[in-house]
Amino acid sequence: MGDGGGPVVLGIETSCDETAVGVVAGSLLLSSVLSSQVEAHARFGGVVPEVAARAHVEAIRPLVHDALRQAGIHQTQVDAIAATRGPGLVGSLVVGFGFAKAFAWTLDKPFLGIDHMEGHLFAPRLEHPGYQPPAVVLLASGGHSQIIHVPEWGRYTEMGRTIDDAAGEAFDKLARFMGLGYPGGPAIDRAAASGDPTAITFPRALGDRPFDLSFSGLKTSVTTYLAKAARADMVPPLGDVAASIQEAIVDVLVEKTFNAVDATGVGRVAGGGGVLANTRLRRRLAEVAADRGVELFLPSPALCTDNGAMIAAAACFHLGDGSRSGWDADVDPGLRLG
Amino acid sequence: MRILAIETATPASSVAIGEDGRLAAMAVEVDARGHLGFLTAAIDFCFAQAGWSPRDIDAVAIDIGPGRYTGLRAGVATAQGIAAAVGAPLITVSSLVVLALRAATGRRRIRPIVDVRRGQIATQPFQPVPGGVVSDGQPEVMSPDDLRGLLEVDPEDTLVVGDWESLSEATFRGLHRAKRGRPRYPGADVVLEIGEIKAARDDVTPPERVRPLYLREPDARINWTDIRGGGLWPGAGS
Ligand SMILES: [Zn+2]
Repeated sequence: MGDGGGPVVLGIETSCDETAVGVVAGSLLLSSVLSSQVEAHARFGGVVPEVAARAHVEAIRPLVHDALRQAGIHQTQVDAIAATRGPGLVGSLVVGFGFAKAFAWTLDKPFLGIDHMEGHLFAPRLEHPGYQPPAVVLLASGGHSQIIHVPEWGRYTEMGRTIDDAAGEAFDKLARFMGLGYPGGPAIDRAAASGDPTAITFPRALGDRPFDLSFSGLKTSVTTYLAKAARADMVPPLGDVAASIQEAIVDVLVEKTFNAVDATGVGRVAGGGGVLANTRLRRRLAEVAADRGVELFLPSPALCTDNGAMIAAAACFHLGDGSRSGWDADVDPGLRLG
Repeated sequence: MRILAIETATPASSVAIGEDGRLAAMAVEVDARGHLGFLTAAIDFCFAQAGWSPRDIDAVAIDIGPGRYTGLRAGVATAQGIAAAVGAPLITVSSLVVLALRAATGRRRIRPIVDVRRGQIATQPFQPVPGGVVSDGQPEVMSPDDLRGLLEVDPEDTLVVGDWESLSEATFRGLHRAKRGRPRYPGADVVLEIGEIKAARDDVTPPERVRPLYLREPDARINWTDIRGGGLWPGAGS
């Protein structure tokens, strides 16, 4: 056991394009390292599953070594080992899960397969000890967008999800259309910094589903608008377009999240996933939370994106409730939380 | 010398452990859906059968393919996890050598094949020699039609082993010099045998260089029509 922090858990995350490993002691972050493949995928404009899987095979062992070394923990001092079981790309999941299970077996330690989304849901705990259920959690990234009600740890109800594109996917596709490259979220965030978010009013799908998210209408509207503007030779400044797109996405995410807060009456909101690294979204969530007198718990940007520490943090909770995965456990690419 | 051998190149998967030329335990499963659920459980079973502890492992021998990528990665990740935890060296073995060695009876040239998906197979020619086989060319990926073309012009009698049953009968029709035989799948017992020979010669692979033998570049389709060069705002993407 770690000094006062709870059990020491090594967490491995390889569901998509980041090979990530973290060590935590309870909810105390000891280390978080990753080998980003952004450059490898940028030339294709998106994640290529076979490229991702190959990179994981090469990165996994040195990263586990680095995470333990940075945490100042010897492998024999680890109390449990966890890995992402799903959702994700099967060829990528297999690498981290296979390594973790074999590593745990050899060291005679408990092994836990963890839902990636539950990892995101636990990430804020690593920096905010006050983050506790009941809470509403907004999870948004390139692969997923969900609003989850957490009445207590281990119990999750999905209140809303995207009915078409994930929020991060909308950022990626629009950034690509604008020639901003990949990944789109950070590119639009940067371009928007110099722009006016009220310059163009793109549609918000707020409609009659109070908690579900939709971004395909926005995508169509932006591409049509820009095609028209180009024909009329009246293309607005890049910063204004980026800021207006970002504002439309942020409006939808904030509105739906707080609809869920109103419906459940919870006093705490949290977030996770790469989209939560967006500066404008963070500021707007903070403003509305302050307005409504609701506590907000957002991980720092490095812990919003995929990381191994969040998998370890979720595993710490399950270690306490007695869950273990068997040596015959397998990945589940279609796993769904809530 | 106690060795753990892992084999996951085809729909079959197996684990074997042994010491000084003697097989101590082995487990086999044929399941095309994947090998991750089987591997560590099978290793646990074999160790219990033999009364071994993980600390007893002196080396881990792993079939690195060619074969099916996801299976190979499950095997390599498992081998790396165990080797990292006990600090044991890794020994890499080719699935085609494993097949050829088990087939090495008689005087025919041996041509093992494994399915590498996308309608392709991997193959490599071997000659039987006393006590084993020697390779007679490099491993290559080809279509079943290419394989037929090779066998048609080959003046030598050939024994085709591996998963030829997964190919159409037309691939072999009328090829009188090509006989088909067993084994269908590579086995961890042969990986173990080869592993022992390589371990005795200290022929180990540094862990950072252990990866599947893919024989093919990753297929990534670049959607250039979707990636615009910043036409509306020149230089935006730079
Ligand atoms: Zn994620």
